[in-house]
Amino acid sequence: MKSEILYPGAFPMVRVELASGEHIKAESGAMVGSSPTVDVESKMEGGFLGALSRKLLTGEKFFFQTLRASRGPGEVLLAPTVPGEIVILELDGVNEYMVQKDGFLAGAEGINIESKMQNLSRGLLGGEGFFILKIGGKGMLVLNSFGAVHKIELKPDQEYIVDNSHLVAWSATTSYNIEKAASGWVASFTSGEGLVCRFRGPGIVYIQSRNPGSFGAWIRQFIPVSE
Amino acid sequence: MTTTDSPNALCFGEELPASGAPCFVQIEGHGLTITFGSESGKEAQETVPFSAFAVSAGGLDHDHLVLKWGEGLLARTLYLKHPDLIRAFREAAPDHLSQPFEQAAERVRQVRHRHRVMWASVGGSILAVVLGLWFGADLLVEMAVSRIPVEWEQKLGEAAYKDFLSHQDVMKEGPAVKAVEEMTQRLAEQIPNNPYKFQVTVVKSDVVNAFALPGGYVVVFTGLMKKADSGEEVAGVLGHELNHVLQRHGMERIVKNLGIMAVVAIIVGDQQGLIGLMRQVGVELLTLKFDRAQEMEADLTGLQLVYRAKIDPKGMITFFQKLSEKDEGRLEWLSTHPMSSVRADRLKAELAALPRRSLEPFTFQWSEVQGALGVSPVAVP
Ligand SMILES: [Zn+2]
Repeated sequence: MKSEILYPGAFPMVRVELASGEHIKAESGAMVGSSPTVDVESKMEGGFLGALSRKLLTGEKFFFQTLRASRGPGEVLLAPTVPGEIVILELDGVNEYMVQKDGFLAGAEGINIESKMQNLSRGLLGGEGFFILKIGGKGMLVLNSFGAVHKIELKPDQEYIVDNSHLVAWSATTSYNIEKAASGWVASFTSGEGLVCRFRGPGIVYIQSRNPGSFGAWIRQFIPVSE
Repeated sequence: MTTTDSPNALCFGEELPASGAPCFVQIEGHGLTITFGSESGKEAQETVPFSAFAVSAGGLDHDHLVLKWGEGLLARTLYLKHPDLIRAFREAAPDHLSQPFEQAAERVRQVRHRHRVMWASVGGSILAVVLGLWFGADLLVEMAVSRIPVEWEQKLGEAAYKDFLSHQDVMKEGPAVKAVEEMTQRLAEQIPNNPYKFQVTVVKSDVVNAFALPGGYVVVFTGLMKKADSGEEVAGVLGHELNHVLQRHGMERIVKNLGIMAVVAIIVGDQQGLIGLMRQVGVELLTLKFDRAQEMEADLTGLQLVYRAKIDPKGMITFFQKLSEKDEGRLEWLSTHPMSSVRADRLKAELAALPRRSLEPFTFQWSEVQGALGVSPVAVP
C-alpha cells in the first residue's frame, strides 16, 4: 500500500495505491474516486438497524467503508469534508493514538479502530464528545483536520495546554485533564467556552489550527433567520 | 532481538523521538533487557536492574506501567502497555517496586467502577424514561419530530423527490397540471401558518397512485386522475396526502423506524448525526408506509381541509368507495392505503357532523382535464 498527499494545503486529497486484494478502511463519504477494480463494501452486519444502533452506541461515524481492490490492483482518492490538512502517520504496532471522531479519514488493513466512551466529565466538557477512537496496530493511518495540523511534541512530564475543540489526535501515552481556562465554572458551562485540556507527556498531540464550532458560529451570523 | 521480535514498549528520552522509540523489552531475574532496533539493522541493547527503576502508572487511562531511570540527559521513561508484560514485570520485580503501580491500578479500578456505576445509572434512567414512554411512545416520537427543523425535512424530501422524478415521465404543463395546481392552491390557502411550500408534480403513468414526501413534495399519477370522475375526488386524495405532510407523518415513521437513538440524537441536537442517519434512509422514504392511526388522521384532517376549502367533500368519499370496490388497473394507492368500507363510513359520519357549507366549483372542467389525459368522454352521464 502506497499513499501520497495531493495538493497539500487547504484542499488536499490523498491517493492510496492498493495491491490486488488489499483494502483500506475509510470514513464513509471520504471516497472521491477509484479505479474500477476497487469495490466499496459498507459493513452493515446485522441489517441496517443493527448497524445503526451499533454505530450509534459505539459512537463510530455511521459507517466506515471498506474499499477493497478485489478485482486487481487499483487506486482510491480520498478527501475529507472540511477544508484542512491531511496527515499520514505510520503506526509501528506499539504506538496508539486517540483520535477525535471527525479526525479519522482512513486506515490501512493492519490498523485497529476501537471506539471508546470517554469518562463522563471528559465527555461532557471536552469538545470532542463522548466518543473517541482509539487507533493502534500496524500500518498507515490518515488523519484530517479543520485548518492546518500542528504537531506538539511532549517530553516525559512536559505539559501543554490546548483548547479542547482544536484537538485532532494524541498519543495514548499522554494523559490529560480538562480545566477551566480563566473564568469560573458557571461561565464555562453556559458558554461552553474557556475549557482547555492540560496534556502531560510523553507523546505527541496533533491539533488543528481552526475550531469547527467557532467557525460554525461565525458562519451562522450571516445566515438569515426565518421566522 | 531477532527480526521476529516486534517491539512491545515505547521508550522516551532526550534524544529519542517524541512519539517514543519502539523497543523490545524482556524481563529477566535481575531486571529488564531493552533492545532498540535501528535503521541500519544494528541493535542497541541495554540492561537495567530493577533497583534503578521508579515505577508509576501513566497514559490516558492510567493503564500503562511507567518505568523511569537515569538522570539529566540520560533520563529514560519506558511505557509498558501489554497486560502480559505488566504481569511478568510484577512477578519478577521486588514487591516494593510494583507497589506504586498496584496502588495506582487500584485507584483506576475504583474510579472506573464509579464511572461504570454512574453510566449505568444514567443509562438506566434514560432506559426507564424510554420504557415508560414506550407504550405512549408516539408522544416521544412526536416530541422528537417537533424538534426537527422544517428545513431538514424539506432537504430530505426534496432529495427523495428529485431522485424519484428523475426516473419518471413528468408532465410539465397542460390542463391536468393546471387543475392539480389549482386544487393544491385552494387547499393550501386554508392552512394557517403553513410552514411548507407544496410542490405538486403530475407523473405520466397508469398507476393509480399519489403520495406526499416530507417537506411538502407531492406526486400525483395520471392513472389516478383518469380513474377519478371529478376534480373533487382528486382534491380529496390531495387533502389526505397534504395532511400526511402537515402532521409530519413521514418524519414520525422515520424516527420510529430508526429507533430511539435517533430520538436521542434529535433531542441532544446532534445535527450531523441526524443528517447522516437521514441520508441513509432517503431511499426508504419512497417506500414509506404509514400506520393505521396516521391514515385515519390524514383522512379526517384531509376531509376538514377539503371542507374548509369549499370543495365538495363527497368527492373524497366517493373516490375512496370506488377504490374499495377493487377492480382492474394498477391501484397502487391501495397497497399503501388499504381501503375498507369502514374508512369511507367513518368519513361519511364525520361529514354528517359538519354544518352544510356553500361550495365553490373549480375553474376547470374535469371532462377537459380528462380529455387532455386521453380519457374518452363516453359513458359518463
Ligand atoms: Zn395516506
